[in-house]
Amino acid sequence: MSYKCSRCKRDVELDEYGGVRCPYCGHRVLLKERSRDIKEIDVH
Amino acid sequence: MSEDYEVEFIDRDERDARFVVRDITPAFANGIRRAIVSDVPTLSIDTVRVIENSSVMFDEQISLRLGLVPLTTPDDYDVGETATLALDVEGPDTAYSGDLVSADDRVEPADDNIPIIDLKYPEGADSPQRLEIEAEAVMDHGKSHAKHQGGVAVGYRHLQRIEVVGDAADWEDEPNILRGVIEDDGELVPTESFDHDLSKRYPGKEVEVHDVPNAFVFSIESDGSLPVSDLVLNAVDSLADRADELEQAVQL
Repeated sequence: MSYKCSRCKRDVELDEYGGVRCPYCGHRVLLKERSRDIKEIDVH
Repeated sequence: MSEDYEVEFIDRDERDARFVVRDITPAFANGIRRAIVSDVPTLSIDTVRVIENSSVMFDEQISLRLGLVPLTTPDDYDVGETATLALDVEGPDTAYSGDLVSADDRVEPADDNIPIIDLKYPEGADSPQRLEIEAEAVMDHGKSHAKHQGGVAVGYRHLQRIEVVGDAADWEDEPNILRGVIEDDGELVPTESFDHDLSKRYPGKEVEVHDVPNAFVFSIESDGSLPVSDLVLNAVDSLADRADELEQAVQL
């Protein structure tokens, strides 16, 4: 799952051991990146 | 009931019309109204493929807004047929319905100025907000979803006639409000012409208002997907088709 650090804006990969923390600046607020897949929505 | 109906237009425009139909029952008048609302198919966006949406609104919210944009509907489309549209807008800008580009030139938003989403270029952001989508518009009936209703304000009321029954008392100077259309000496007079106030048209007179039997004033407004005339004709055709279908079924 790819995230972006809200402070240093770098891409961050989360693993189950590292916890929620940016490995570059230590910031704990990470933003989830939108998937590049095309999403299809039914308008009902 | 006679086979031919007398129809007289009061106002006629591409988007709205007002006309009187005589020699029909209230049930038939309501049948026409319901057919206009639910039986005339129009094109509306039904599937949205979101390629990029970095705006502040969810994909689903934007898709619902797109679904409600009225699209012009050519005659040769059948129920279930589709048309493809696309939208690609980058901030700082507002995405309007007019930014939708269609694969079929005849299918386009009926109004160009419906706002979809306001896109920004946030301070400190690497790139501006962007919305890129592809959409499939499908032809369907109003009874399956309100977004397919071509008639947005469809109603009718009795045509009315005014009977002068005497002179009004001197102290009676209150307005006598009536909205609609009246028949006066065979002439159709919209009440706007006398500010909806009967005391202005018949000053100093006491009047009574009567419904003209089996005469109805239809007031119809289209969302722009079809001209009002097509909306009414298609609705009446659908009623005739259903009556034929019933006749066939009864004979079996």
